[in-house]
Amino acid sequence: MADLVWLHEGALRLTHPVFAAGGPGAATVFIWDTDRLADSHVGIKRQLFIYETLAEMSESRSLDIHEGRTEEVLPRLAAQSNAGRVLVPSSPDPAVRAKIGAIRRAAPDLEIVEIEDTPFVTMANTPDLGRFFRYWNKAKKSALRPQGI
Amino acid sequence: MNETIPLPTKFADRAAMLAHLRALSGHDDAASAIPDIAAGGRTAAEAVLARIDPRAYAATRNHLDGAVTRLSPYIRHGILSLDEVRNAALASVSDPKQAEKFIQELAWRDYWQRIYLAHPERIWSDVESYKTGFDAAEYDAELPADIAAGETGVACIDQFIATLFETGYLHNHARMYLASYTVHWRRVSWQAGARFFLEHLVDADPASNNLSWQWIASTFSNKPYIFNLENVAKYCGPDINTIPRHNLVLDQSYERLSELLFPYMGGPHG
Repeated sequence: MADLVWLHEGALRLTHPVFAAGGPGAATVFIWDTDRLADSHVGIKRQLFIYETLAEMSESRSLDIHEGRTEEVLPRLAAQSNAGRVLVPSSPDPAVRAKIGAIRRAAPDLEIVEIEDTPFVTMANTPDLGRFFRYWNKAKKSALRPQGI
Repeated sequence: MNETIPLPTKFADRAAMLAHLRALSGHDDAASAIPDIAAGGRTAAEAVLARIDPRAYAATRNHLDGAVTRLSPYIRHGILSLDEVRNAALASVSDPKQAEKFIQELAWRDYWQRIYLAHPERIWSDVESYKTGFDAAEYDAELPADIAAGETGVACIDQFIATLFETGYLHNHARMYLASYTVHWRRVSWQAGARFFLEHLVDADPASNNLSWQWIASTFSNKPYIFNLENVAKYCGPDINTIPRHNLVLDQSYERLSELLFPYMGGPHG
């Protein structure tokens, strides 16, 4: 069974690891969920920017934009494309995470796999996030020398 | 089972795409102006990335006409990864130290995103108490109509709001001025201001945006951020109106502003 790549507005590039995980045959969808966009305060200017980006992506890869509630549309699309898994770029956004939870409740047999992006820095321990410079003091070495040169 | 029909992706021009989006969102006011926002897509992103100059950025980034990159909408939407932007910056300099300030600013985004994942409740709630002498309940929960309309009567503030409306973008310094004016001069909750920015900024990200508002407000920093007209004049150049009589409430020394804006700082009141 093929995979279905579900994109959200935080990972709009074809070089994201989610595409390598899905392989060249994976269909790709973006759900234009107007309620979620409104709840997330996504104004019309940002909507235009996102849509332009999706339109350009669709020129070089099979990518469809579907309107509707994510938890209703995505399981239907997965069934239509005979997908056994949905691959989604991981996101810290609670709105995206809530939709993942809603899909799992709506379609418990559908496997959803979150794919991490390439990291900006690697650190041995969880950094102190209390203030930026506590984090930066730990992250700086990796940030400036990502290959450990 | 109904076959789901995808939405169109080909339009004659930006106006047609915008009309389509307005219809989808139920705001079918097609007569509205077409915003002058950054072009979406990877092609535009790569063109912007090719122009970055980390050394000039470090020297001039605080000025409105400085060598800022305008990468933020592309990074926020993952069109460019932080990793590849950092690598491009390092490739453009002979010594990594020349790109350190630029990469540190990329790290701010990584930092905000880590907080977003680890502490999502901090995005809309005060991380700490206000350090202004006022309680959170003393800040208005709603954005005043004159700020929402860009008609405050403070010339430079109204210019920043007009730019926000027209372009979906503000230089970081202008964001700081506008946020500080909203929270500290008008005593409006940072949440109301953060919603205003989220609705208009093309690079709007709840973590970067809201935690930055908290930094201004002092609920995620050690003191409130304020500015004065002299500072605006120093960083904004001649395109921004800094004539004193058009910006009266900003035309004070920092010492006097602290007295006016935070009369109870240093002691309890009420």
